[in-house]
Amino acid sequence: MRVTFTVNGREQEADDVWEGESLLYVLRERMGLPGSKNACEQGECGSCTVRLDDVPVCSCLVAAGQVQGREVVTVEGLADQARERGGRATDGTTLDQAKGWQAKPHGAQAAQPGQLAPIQQAFIDAGAVQCGFCTPGLLVAADELLERNSSPTDADIREALSGNLCRCTGYEKILDAVRLAAARQDEVV
Amino acid sequence: MAGTTRTPTNLTQGAKADAGIGASTLRPDGTLKVTGEFAYSSDMWHEDMLWGFTLRSPHAHARILSVDTSDALAQAGVYAVLTHDDLPTEHKKYGLEFTDTPVLADGVVRHHGEPVALVAADHPETARRAAAKIKVEYEELPVVHDEASALAEDAPLLHPGRDDHHAHEVPHPNIVHRQPIIRGDANAAARRADVIVTGEYEVGMQDQAFLGPESGLAVPGEDGGVDLYVATQWLHSDLRQIAPVLGLPEEKVRMTLSGVGGAFGGREDLSMQIHACLLALRTGKPVKIVYNRFESFFGHVHRHPAKLWYEHGATRDGKLTHMKCRIVLDGGAYASASPAVVGNASSLSVGPYVIEDVEIEAVALYTNNPPCGAMRGFGAVQACFAYEAQMDKVAAELGMDPVEFRQLNAMTQGTIMPTGQVVDSPAPVAELLRRVKALPLPPENQWESAGQTADVRALPGGLSNTTHGEGVVRGVGYAVGIKNVGFSEGFDDYSTARVRLEVVAGEPVATVHTAMAEVGQGGVTVHAQIARTELGVQQVTIHPADTQVGSAGSTSASRQTYMTGGAVKNTCEAVRDKALQLGRRRFGTFHPAWATAELLLEGGKVVTDGGEVLADLADVLGDDVVDLELEFRHRPTEAFDIVTGQGFGHVQYSFAAHRAVVEVDTELGLVKVVELACAQDVGKALNPLSVVGQIQGGTTQGLGLAVMEEIIVDPKSKVRNPSFTDYLIPTILDTPTIPVDVLELADDHAPYGLRGIGEAPTLSSTPAVVSAIRAATGLALKRVPVRPEHITGV
Amino acid sequence: MKTFQYERPADADTAVALLADAPTGAYLGGGTNLVDLMKLGVAAPDLLVDVSRLPFDAVEETGTGGLRIGAAVRNSTLAVHPLVRERYPVLSQALLSGASTQLRNAATVGGNLLQRTRCPYFQDVGKPCNKRRPGTGCPAREGAHRDLAVLGASEHCVATNPSDMAVALAALDAIVDVASGHGPRRVPLTDLHRLPGDAPDRDTTLRHGELITAVELPPPMPGARSAYRKARDRASYAFALASVGAVLQVREGLVHHVRVAFGALAAKPWRARTAEEALLGEPATTASFDDAVRHELAAARPLRDNGYKVPLARRMAVSMLTELAAASAGGTP
Repeated sequence: MRVTFTVNGREQEADDVWEGESLLYVLRERMGLPGSKNACEQGECGSCTVRLDDVPVCSCLVAAGQVQGREVVTVEGLADQARERGGRATDGTTLDQAKGWQAKPHGAQAAQPGQLAPIQQAFIDAGAVQCGFCTPGLLVAADELLERNSSPTDADIREALSGNLCRCTGYEKILDAVRLAAARQDEVV
Repeated sequence: MAGTTRTPTNLTQGAKADAGIGASTLRPDGTLKVTGEFAYSSDMWHEDMLWGFTLRSPHAHARILSVDTSDALAQAGVYAVLTHDDLPTEHKKYGLEFTDTPVLADGVVRHHGEPVALVAADHPETARRAAAKIKVEYEELPVVHDEASALAEDAPLLHPGRDDHHAHEVPHPNIVHRQPIIRGDANAAARRADVIVTGEYEVGMQDQAFLGPESGLAVPGEDGGVDLYVATQWLHSDLRQIAPVLGLPEEKVRMTLSGVGGAFGGREDLSMQIHACLLALRTGKPVKIVYNRFESFFGHVHRHPAKLWYEHGATRDGKLTHMKCRIVLDGGAYASASPAVVGNASSLSVGPYVIEDVEIEAVALYTNNPPCGAMRGFGAVQACFAYEAQMDKVAAELGMDPVEFRQLNAMTQGTIMPTGQVVDSPAPVAELLRRVKALPLPPENQWESAGQTADVRALPGGLSNTTHGEGVVRGVGYAVGIKNVGFSEGFDDYSTARVRLEVVAGEPVATVHTAMAEVGQGGVTVHAQIARTELGVQQVTIHPADTQVGSAGSTSASRQTYMTGGAVKNTCEAVRDKALQLGRRRFGTFHPAWATAELLLEGGKVVTDGGEVLADLADVLGDDVVDLELEFRHRPTEAFDIVTGQGFGHVQYSFAAHRAVVEVDTELGLVKVVELACAQDVGKALNPLSVVGQIQGGTTQGLGLAVMEEIIVDPKSKVRNPSFTDYLIPTILDTPTIPVDVLELADDHAPYGLRGIGEAPTLSSTPAVVSAIRAATGLALKRVPVRPEHITGV
Repeated sequence: MKTFQYERPADADTAVALLADAPTGAYLGGGTNLVDLMKLGVAAPDLLVDVSRLPFDAVEETGTGGLRIGAAVRNSTLAVHPLVRERYPVLSQALLSGASTQLRNAATVGGNLLQRTRCPYFQDVGKPCNKRRPGTGCPAREGAHRDLAVLGASEHCVATNPSDMAVALAALDAIVDVASGHGPRRVPLTDLHRLPGDAPDRDTTLRHGELITAVELPPPMPGARSAYRKARDRASYAFALASVGAVLQVREGLVHHVRVAFGALAAKPWRARTAEEALLGEPATTASFDDAVRHELAAARPLRDNGYKVPLARRMAVSMLTELAAASAGGTP
């Protein structure tokens, strides 16, 4: 079948899609958007999280046909979406709150200033990325959280991200990253 | 390869990331990873590629009577179906230490999920459907599933006619390896003991649960060889096992590391590597294999479940007199890393304590359970859970504070291990305990601080709303552990680094090329830092890891910063010497310091140790390229004696201590870990941000083992929970604040004095959490993971 | 996964007609359960009729002050709906304790009600299972059954119903609206799911092709309090080991109205009618709650490894009822 939907603001079309393919498969294997990850393919880990008509869902459990005519935002579209919202990546704030021992980022990576969404930059700066396989799904979920709630408490962050498994970081630096993005968001406003 | 493929690329970093060792430089792959562009092994893509799929055994032990692939082959879109009979050479097995694992089952399947046949098709679902059409006739055989059934007189032998290097010394052919360690006279010392405490402990089967599934792409080459893009922990070890099965010389199997979504030991053994190559060579087309999570649980080895029996004695004044222990590890159907796990479990079974009289035995069994092998902290994790439980028990028996008791018996630099090896670098065991104990405790009743109504997210049960504070009891527990770093027992452990220094667009640029598997730990960050420090350049390019350069050894055993970091340092030093020679040749006559002073490379310039600038490095190099590839070795070790266990077996030791604060809903048996503080000696923190990240990650895996993670194997040796819904790992709501205190006491034997850090925090986390639950509940809790029913009783 | 046909009809009549002609077809809601089961090979429909975008997406007050919830309403929408939060906290809490944000955002009310068991043998097509393939046997009784049923199981099946929402709806006396070619009918939620008996393959009393269109809640009892609790192996994103939903109204210290339903103990949300009857008119005290719940759970027939569920469910129920009684008596919302 043919499936047409909007991905990251652009209309996309996939032909010869087999009905049993998931949105995740169509994105990764047919549209050249492998950013959404395939850690479980059963809705158990959140690594494939995308926004479908604005709400975060596990794209691995969305049948291809269900996406017809709808809007999808993936990790690849976060930066554009952030620009449209008017937010810009800044790296002026460092998170000086309790992060244990002096784990302050040195030399924030600003290779492509403004090309990353604030939450993406914050994940890099806070050391929230290790193997990175959970990162795209977490970014989509965290970005949506900050859109809803610009100054979340730690408990809010934990609740919002509890559908995304990470095996490398112990989540501490992911919390740091979301706090950092929230703090920078305040700074811009 | 042109635009029709997706494969790994060079990593470079922006100009601002110019820091050398000791700085929290950010990851060079960070931007690619947050934009979704980073090419993981499951993202590999090639025009015209086929998809491979593996048919696996539904039985744990069965004879294969027949395999009929004709229906599968007849399916439209199917290009190949392979079974054991299709293997191209007489090499039909592989393995890390023993060559005992069939590439495809050879008449017998020995564990649930063992690969039986392969399919290549034009769509992953076509391949799956075709696999379902393969008719395999099995005759089920009785299973060997525990020590009693494995060592029974009439036990079925997993591998009759063993010819591995431990075969002649094991007491039973279903024992993979046995390592006793005898030192002093434990029985005599026991007579000096005022108290003797015994205990039996059990550790469940933990899974690495890395998020990136086993996957990769094999592309047949025009020369009859194959290019393999894969996620692994050790390219050259894979290569050594793959090439003979394919019947190819190693240089015709060109391996490139693709993005690795975590490893934790689970990628030490081969998974889909040979399978993808076989299908690619058979069909002449690129073949991609990606496991889903269900397959992944069958696609890699797990942490050995263990039963441990311990006896400790102590005098009234709190000195340990002796220790006896027996550790039985279930290795499952194939050997994998079992021999090394036995070596670690036995040699580290005493923990970081001074006990002169010991009697130790560790064995690994062959059973029909899932194969077990490497997972973060292997051997040492199981032992640490038991000896730390014993430490609490002895302290209680003596009426002593458990931390003070540990400190009283803590090893120090100069302590002699049960193996006779002298600990010849700092061993700050008592200090690490002091540090975690000195931290302020987290405030009580934090669920109330948020506001009027209890914030259930801060309570046991979390969002399940099970308590609003009633029935909740706090407990605090401590633990400390010891882990060896690097490959032990006489293994010739080395790593190779190639470093190229040249001028590009007027700037000196270093390119670092190693075969080190970056699995998320941040090795690539550290390599760039080392190159900047040693060569004084800003621009460092990290070449993708592949087999075009010598082996880097495994990204495991906490060894990679020590070993490949050491190799990069070592090669950089040689490159620097060469560059300075060039400088002397070019400019030596202009300034006497070229001949007399100690010269350094700093900030792109050649400077004297007095700080005088002699030349720009770019001018020194000119059009010349300095390009060297060198090997680096740690000091040699030796095997443990097979009778006494004596020997200089380990390269280095690392130490971490934890304090766990838990709150337990004693009515329902639900546990909230409130805080899990860690102190660790890292020798030298090359990248503090990464160091803390490693410690927090390792700590969390230990927490998982303590309270939720276990692969359930039923009495018929079948895996019952191969999914992330049924095998639970901690979410962000289960994971507490993890304050980290880092100590830097240099080990003079190691590059920069550093100590391997990856594994130690996984050891002491588990027993600290369980100790805290014991403190809250008064229960003995001899098994991990601790489940609600263990706390409430039935 | 088998090949299948996908249809997304614009109205319910077409949907019903499509499935009436497809004996092995299935309705597709949010997909969070069915798509997974299809990947595992557990479900193999040859036609999927996507009903997730049918116009059943409203939450409306009924003329009698109750609430009518469209079957296509997303779990996340329902959980935070102001009327649900205010009047039916048990439902909001049950929804929020289920799955993850991502799954709740996709899952529909109708789909949630029809999700299938998490029994590991049901999920593994390599194993016998009477629910998946009638007559093949139930290895769970001797095998891994820590998570499985202690109430209402049969020798043929010990699976549990995994839904949290359904437990809350059972405690709220919800009614399910069903459409079919034979016209609409209404099914009390407590009659929707069935115990396994000798036909464990049938989870519900629905006939093939019947489509859930809405769930209706009766008006809330004035002064009544309700809540949901769930015990599981981790703090979020896991199925229940045991759960309880309850509605309680206390007048002058006596139980005036009570509904208790247990989750994860049986193949259906387990309405504790024995306990409810015992409690009616009794003092709203911990002692009476404990007596009544013990009485209810006396029917439990645990297997080797799941006996812990009985005290777990009892303790949760008693402490929650005690808390609800205090709130109901004290008038705090």
